[in-house]
Amino acid sequence: MIRRGFQAVIRLGHHRVLPGAPHVLPRLNRTSAFGSSTDSLVSRFCLEKTDLKDYALPNASWCPDMLNLYQEFLEKTKTDGWIKLPSFKSNRDHIQGLKLPFGLAATSDKSDWRIFTRCLQVEGQGYEYVIFFHPSKKKSICLFQPGPYLEGAPGFAHGGSLAAMMDETFSKTAYLAGEGLFTLSLNIRFKNLIPVGSLAVLNVDVEKIEDQKLYMSCIAQSRDQQRVYAKSSGVFLQLQLEEELSQ
Amino acid sequence: MGRSWRAGGSALIRTGALVAVGAMLRSCVSRLRTLAVLRGQPGVAPLPAKDPWSPRVNPGAGRREQEAKPGCVRGDPRSFSSEVIHMDLSLPNPSWNEDMRLLFDQFMKKSEDGSWKHLPSYKSKFTQRTEDIKIYFPGMNPLSSQIATGKALSTDAKLMKEKLSQAQLFPRSLEEGLGFEYAMFHNCVEDRIVCIFQGGPYLQGAPGFLHGGAIATMIDATLGACAIVAVGVAMTASLNISFKRPIPLGSVVVINSQVDKVEGRKLFLSCNIRSVDEKTVYSEATSLFVKLDPKTRLT
Repeated sequence: MIRRGFQAVIRLGHHRVLPGAPHVLPRLNRTSAFGSSTDSLVSRFCLEKTDLKDYALPNASWCPDMLNLYQEFLEKTKTDGWIKLPSFKSNRDHIQGLKLPFGLAATSDKSDWRIFTRCLQVEGQGYEYVIFFHPSKKKSICLFQPGPYLEGAPGFAHGGSLAAMMDETFSKTAYLAGEGLFTLSLNIRFKNLIPVGSLAVLNVDVEKIEDQKLYMSCIAQSRDQQRVYAKSSGVFLQLQLEEELSQ
Repeated sequence: MGRSWRAGGSALIRTGALVAVGAMLRSCVSRLRTLAVLRGQPGVAPLPAKDPWSPRVNPGAGRREQEAKPGCVRGDPRSFSSEVIHMDLSLPNPSWNEDMRLLFDQFMKKSEDGSWKHLPSYKSKFTQRTEDIKIYFPGMNPLSSQIATGKALSTDAKLMKEKLSQAQLFPRSLEEGLGFEYAMFHNCVEDRIVCIFQGGPYLQGAPGFLHGGAIATMIDATLGACAIVAVGVAMTASLNISFKRPIPLGSVVVINSQVDKVEGRKLFLSCNIRSVDEKTVYSEATSLFVKLDPKTRLT
């Protein structure tokens, strides 16, 4: 079980001994601890050759808006420096060869675990999404189409599903922009309902990186930007993953 | 004879469509079904069969009160449409681990004297007075005008109807044990809601831990239940969640929620998520919910 909370981990950066801890955790060298550049993180994340199924690809359930915008961004990956992020069944697949630090790594490796936003695998039923990331601008765009199994109010997506989509986009952005691993806080202001089956575009920006924390903001709106669905901000904790020792 | 058959046929289609629309509307709203259980609101239909969502029922109100056993039927059985069977998913099933069962039993025991009440939870196809829900969502019924005029549904409307008829309430849309396993209990005396929650393997975020979004969904569901029990239909305006520690996948947590303040149509609620022994605080959240006004369209 986790003994130390996030606050304790942050305090490490201030060189204090953890109260009640049996030993002092290794000091994080703040100058080089998060030195993994975005480029190296991205290249490790976006595996060129893999047998893993990438769920962030068009399928029959995608609405025309989503397909069009997807094509637009695909063009931008060739010219404007955008990168399409792959989306695997589990986050474990995204960090192959790496594991969570400080003993947070789960001891058992259950193969049936799935990342929440890929929990419903029937096309069009749950989350249909793809995230594009811009390494130098530290921005992300997520094209999100909620399916009928994400309903809350009749005909509209559940607030929790949008919260999850925002958290997931924050999570991938935070990881690639600065090794952000865990959500510290989420603040979401809901403005309008998202109709099931329609496209919501989430724009995420990294506002600042300070004190071992990444601060990001997000706006979810319709494609023509006429309708704002929600605005949110998220703070993530920076934690470096450790290399998995081969056994 | 051909003509009368066609007329009969289109009437059948209308009826069928209405039933489908009805089923579709009913199928979504385990939270919003409390429209029919608003306390004493005029013009609202009598309570459907299961109605622990209205805890302050006055025994002298003219509704037949039956003993509040877990999952038992209360209220007027005539309002129970036998069209579809609904299952209360907030009851123990094989996927519940020991912690979850123990907690459930503890709360059921506390419910015996009426100070606590178990709140049922449905996935879809819930028997509900659809008219009551429709007034809040006039914008989602582009089908309704077509149906009303008796025209055959256009292709778009048909697709939409098909899509919507598959709808499931999000936290109940995953198979048993894989996603959200939870049960909510309302403390009638202190007017707060406790939710016991076991997160399944399909809710993963960081390997071995619950996804922040899954936690946010449960917080939203619990606070929503709290708001609904307090004022009837309400929707989330904002959520502010602070994550203290990651929640291990498969573990059981307790979400304690309450209404902090009511200002007109605004409800301020808060909750915290703790371990079963209450020693670990995993998250804390505050939120603003807004009571729906039948005069205001949402779309």
